[in-house]
Amino acid sequence: MPGMNSGLSPDDPTLVAAFRSALLHQGAVALIAVVFLWLIWATARTWRLNGDAASGGAATSERGGSREARGRWLLRIGFGVLWILDGILQAQPKMAAGLPSLVIEPTAASSPAWVQHLVNWGGTIWSYHPIQAGAATVWIQVGLGAWLVVASRGRWSRLAGAASVGWGLIVWVFGESFGGIFAPGLSWLTGAPGGVLFYVAAGALIALPEGAWRSPRLGRLVLAGFGVFFIGMAVLQAWPGRGFWQGTVHGRPGSLTGMVQSMASTSQPHFLSALLSAFSSFVAGHGFAVNLVAVVVLAVLGATFLTGRPRLVRYAVWFGIMFCLADWVLVQDLGFLGGVGTDPNSMIPMALLFSVGYLALTPLPQEAPAPGGTAPGAGRGERLRELRPWTLGGMVASASARSVAAVAAVAVIVLGAAPMASAAADRSADPILALAIEGGSTSLDLPAPGFSLTDQDGQAVTLASLHGKVVLMTFLDPVCTTDCPIIAQEFKQTGELLGAKDKDVELVAIVANPTYRSTTFTQAFDRQEGLTGVPNWLYLTGSVSQLGAVWRQYGVTVQNLPAGAMSAHNDLAVVIDGSGNVREEVGADPGPATTSTRSSFSVLLTQYARQALGRS
Amino acid sequence: MISRWARAGLVLTTLACAGLAAGCGSASSRASGSLNGPTAPSAPTVTVPLSTSLVTAQGTWAIAVMGGPAASDNNFWQLFVRPAGASQWSLVTPPGVADNGGLVAAGTGKSLVIGFRPSQDLAFSPLATSTDTGKDWTPGLLDAGLANDPGAIAVDPSGQALALLQDGTIQTAATASAAAAGQWSELTTRQALAASAPGRSCGLRGLEAVSFGVNKTPMAVGSCQRPGVAGVFVDTSGTWQSAGLALPAEYRGDRVRVLGLAATSGGNVALLLAGDSLLAAWSNGTRWTVSAPVEGVGAGSVRASGFGTGGSAWLLVSGGRAETISGPDAGWHGLPTGPAGTATLAPGPGDAWDALAVSGSELTVWQLAKGAPAHWVQNQMIKVPIEYGSSS
Repeated sequence: MPGMNSGLSPDDPTLVAAFRSALLHQGAVALIAVVFLWLIWATARTWRLNGDAASGGAATSERGGSREARGRWLLRIGFGVLWILDGILQAQPKMAAGLPSLVIEPTAASSPAWVQHLVNWGGTIWSYHPIQAGAATVWIQVGLGAWLVVASRGRWSRLAGAASVGWGLIVWVFGESFGGIFAPGLSWLTGAPGGVLFYVAAGALIALPEGAWRSPRLGRLVLAGFGVFFIGMAVLQAWPGRGFWQGTVHGRPGSLTGMVQSMASTSQPHFLSALLSAFSSFVAGHGFAVNLVAVVVLAVLGATFLTGRPRLVRYAVWFGIMFCLADWVLVQDLGFLGGVGTDPNSMIPMALLFSVGYLALTPLPQEAPAPGGTAPGAGRGERLRELRPWTLGGMVASASARSVAAVAAVAVIVLGAAPMASAAADRSADPILALAIEGGSTSLDLPAPGFSLTDQDGQAVTLASLHGKVVLMTFLDPVCTTDCPIIAQEFKQTGELLGAKDKDVELVAIVANPTYRSTTFTQAFDRQEGLTGVPNWLYLTGSVSQLGAVWRQYGVTVQNLPAGAMSAHNDLAVVIDGSGNVREEVGADPGPATTSTRSSFSVLLTQYARQALGRS
Repeated sequence: MISRWARAGLVLTTLACAGLAAGCGSASSRASGSLNGPTAPSAPTVTVPLSTSLVTAQGTWAIAVMGGPAASDNNFWQLFVRPAGASQWSLVTPPGVADNGGLVAAGTGKSLVIGFRPSQDLAFSPLATSTDTGKDWTPGLLDAGLANDPGAIAVDPSGQALALLQDGTIQTAATASAAAAGQWSELTTRQALAASAPGRSCGLRGLEAVSFGVNKTPMAVGSCQRPGVAGVFVDTSGTWQSAGLALPAEYRGDRVRVLGLAATSGGNVALLLAGDSLLAAWSNGTRWTVSAPVEGVGAGSVRASGFGTGGSAWLLVSGGRAETISGPDAGWHGLPTGPAGTATLAPGPGDAWDALAVSGSELTVWQLAKGAPAHWVQNQMIKVPIEYGSSS
């Protein structure tokens, strides 16, 4: 999938350190915001209490009302905790650089082309801004979880459910490739239709008007939905020719055996891997029996849920929970191990959701009028008046602690997402990728060695003739097959990024091949790379002795290798300011040369050029 | 409350959807057969490998691929020379360009021109010319990608050059210095040749080699759709015509592929496959003579081919089987099965032959020892200093 993968190691120390730093920085800002909100609320409340005491009135008590439905409470707390856990998992060191290559790409690999295309679009945005994307995901999920936990009632709570639906859909589409539902090998045992789809369903239920929870109809609908789902999954599991009935096929692991074996190879505590290895051996030897159990259990669970009879459903729910837990441990391997697990997979959220369906079968009594709440007759005009500035202090003071906590949770989401939103608006990649490849540049303040060479049009060019302009200079072999064309494109893109400043910058390449060095080749290279129309592009060459002197002075080693190998030279870029001083020396090895790393190098060079322009 | 009927409907819908999903995931092999129906077997194609040898006044040159077993980035093409009068080979691969895309050679009496095929991000073909058996090389440029065929370059003794490009265009450079300076001009294109009378007559599908005929006339080799027709064309004063190579009537139903075309002192020699029959044909500028066939040379089994002096030609197929023919008046002669790893053959003086066998970065040269029976004897081993990973 082009674009999605930056090609860098998920363990790259520069990226890991930057990710950790971003998390700490944003965490500190979020903490300050939360404390600030609390201070405002506490101050307003104290002021209001004093005012009420002075006027002889009583402080407004927190709004009362009937209790929250048990099912809704479980849904909100359960999925709130799951979102927080997912957020913490997203903070694992490998996540920033590794999510596209280790999680998204493998998940999408077996899906149809249109799914891969869509997922690639999202993955490319991530790979261009891995630090911001990784940190944003952490804070969005932590914030969402906290929001669900603290906002128990009313619009804030329903809004948390809606937000959960929105973010869940994003994760389901781009992170889970639609839960793999368009890929072959779909199976309930391995996580179909994607764990996050249950988060979406839970969010939708939380977003419902609270009145919906006061009737058993909601519970029946949830259970009926699960009944249909389980029966469908049973049919899929039983369908012949999909490899689930055989533990081994022609000496190779069957579908389920292969899945368990791959999970057993994940980095995890020994007892878990031993347990999984034992289970995979069991499945390999008794594939038919294991699949038969799975099919029967799914079908029975589905049929029982479809009846909607509480007594039957209660047993089915307990049995379903046990079965889900067994699958969670033995097949899904808890879902979050190995350093790049993003969630506990599908079994826990699924069990939570059908348990909630059972709890919702028991209706709540009708809500009594809230003694301190807004009177039923309160009109739109009255609510609008509450928003006027002189009543805002009163609103803040009368807000419940839960409401303030909910606002704080939303603030965490916004603070986390804002840098990513800002970065995504920029079509260029983060320079951190280039820094990760090169390990940073060297700042210098040395007179640049002069040269007198010939450009691609046969005109003489000296360093002195470029005085007053910033020179971005590199060394390129015109018949190179790998790095040099990539570096040339990075330089070209740097010129584009500089915009109006481009006229004050010269993009200079010096030939790095002792044999293929005439202007015939520099011109051919320019045509190949689309550089002929770039006005400030100079590709300089000269005699072997002239070039040799420049190579030596700038520390570039050029050597023809034997036996059909490319002419070897070190990849280097230097930034020379308008006064003729070298200000920066950058390793220009393009690394994996993905679209994101190319863009990243261009951004880095642009930054250096702008700094040098500022000094000129 | 969900009614029983509604539940039953839900279950049935679920079963149908699940079945559909399961079918989508598992029945692709069945679908491909039944929906598309039987398709006509595609015509066998013969990709002529770049491994070859050629003889010039300087000596005998051989090209073979060496290096890594699988990754193309670690496959490096090598040029070896055995100077005239010598018995030992030397590595003389021109330096300065990664040659993972392949090498194409063309020789005249005075010089040898090597073209580098494009690879990875290099889109054009640097050239290198030597007049001293590969000790020194003069760089040149073809500002386009050379075709993947050992006959993609031709040079005549005056220095005029022809180049067949990847897109089927034929370019020409008037002199060796023009070729070095990248001053090539278009001679014709595959489309133009296909639209010409001889192109229509053969149902031209693609161009595969260039050469010079008598009086320095440019020639082109193409693959013909029409059975029994050999696609050899000659440019007569700017008009492309059939070169008149007609095969015996027994091949009229066979697909004919011209494996190579080379200039000789008095005309041309061509190597052809008509069905499973290997043929050679010689032209003196006015008429062609076709050899007797060698049967059982399967399409796709060709490993290397080339031409020697005096209109001789040879073909190496998989399994080490080699067939040679010394000229229009001779018959085909089978050589003993080549040693393991034989990449190419090289004719020596008289009826001597060398087999160049490759194993990783080692080249072993075997000489054909005469006797009863003839057999291969190891003559030389060259350790090639391949820079693994340098093109990655």
